[in-house]
Amino acid sequence: MVFNTGAALLDAIVLAVVSMDKDGTYGYKITQDVRRAIEISESTLYPVLRRLQRDGCLEVYDREFGGRNRRYYKITDAGLAQLSLYKTEWERYSMRITNIFMGRHVE
Amino acid sequence: MNRQEFLKRLEELLRDIPDNERREALQYYNDYFDDAGEENESRVIEELGSPEQVARTIKAGMEDGSGEYTENGYTDARFREHQDISPRNSTTSRKPEPEKPPKKPDFWKILSMILLCILLLPVIIPVGCVLLALILFLFFGAVGIVIGVAVLCVVLVVTGAVLLGCGIWRLFFTPAVGLCLGGAGCLLLALGILATLLVIAVGVKLIPWFIRTVVKLISFPLRKAGVIA
Repeated sequence: MVFNTGAALLDAIVLAVVSMDKDGTYGYKITQDVRRAIEISESTLYPVLRRLQRDGCLEVYDREFGGRNRRYYKITDAGLAQLSLYKTEWERYSMRITNIFMGRHVE
Repeated sequence: MNRQEFLKRLEELLRDIPDNERREALQYYNDYFDDAGEENESRVIEELGSPEQVARTIKAGMEDGSGEYTENGYTDARFREHQDISPRNSTTSRKPEPEKPPKKPDFWKILSMILLCILLLPVIIPVGCVLLALILFLFFGAVGIVIGVAVLCVVLVVTGAVLLGCGIWRLFFTPAVGLCLGGAGCLLLALGILATLLVIAVGVKLIPWFIRTVVKLISFPLRKAGVIA
């Protein structure tokens, strides 16, 4: 991976991944989904999820699955607001960089 | 290490964090193993690394602003060189490069010097002896000259003084001889004092210069090899 992922971008990716499942999703699946976009180690995500949970962007609940309790993560309204902010920022940021890469001059 | 051992070790390592934090973390990793499935257990353990590593990540994540993913920018080794020559380097919040340790004399250089010395021992010993003899010769020669000149000065002064005394004494009996002796005595006395001053001047300036030159000459090859600063 040439371009490093900053904390904000990782937060944005995780929020986006979690928001895709309306009923919430679980740690292993989040890790696999995030890995479709960026390279992360399996131990990277727990602190991120925990922090987002503390910040009120994610909420957790346990649901029975296959005879055991599985912890689910679900995006909150605050998380959705944060995600939309990230998306707007990303659009502007990536557009500016793409313009430069393509040699376009846009005022 | 299997899953049970991994989680047990992790629990031990997380003993010093609050109960709810520990429970959360352990549940997460327990779930993780469950969802990865038994067939992936060893792969997950391998990828997680050691329980110590996972515990560190968890604890680091509890303090804000730290953790694996920070705003410090990328640190890919292939691009570090390009980054370093970038003039905007200082405007990024990238972690500063660790400072290079002060340059030490190269170990191999010193070793090769020593080996070279050993190999050249048959040459070095005679040459060294000759050099030593030369230095000693020069030193003692210089000392001899200094002593000789000093003695000459003393003799000149003493003789001058004695002649002057004799001349003054003779002045009462044979004034012509007395004047002659007295004049010669004054001349010798003056010469003696002049020579003494000259010797002192030479001694003060020349001898330290001589010693400095010798020291410089000896230390030159060592300095060139970078053994001494």
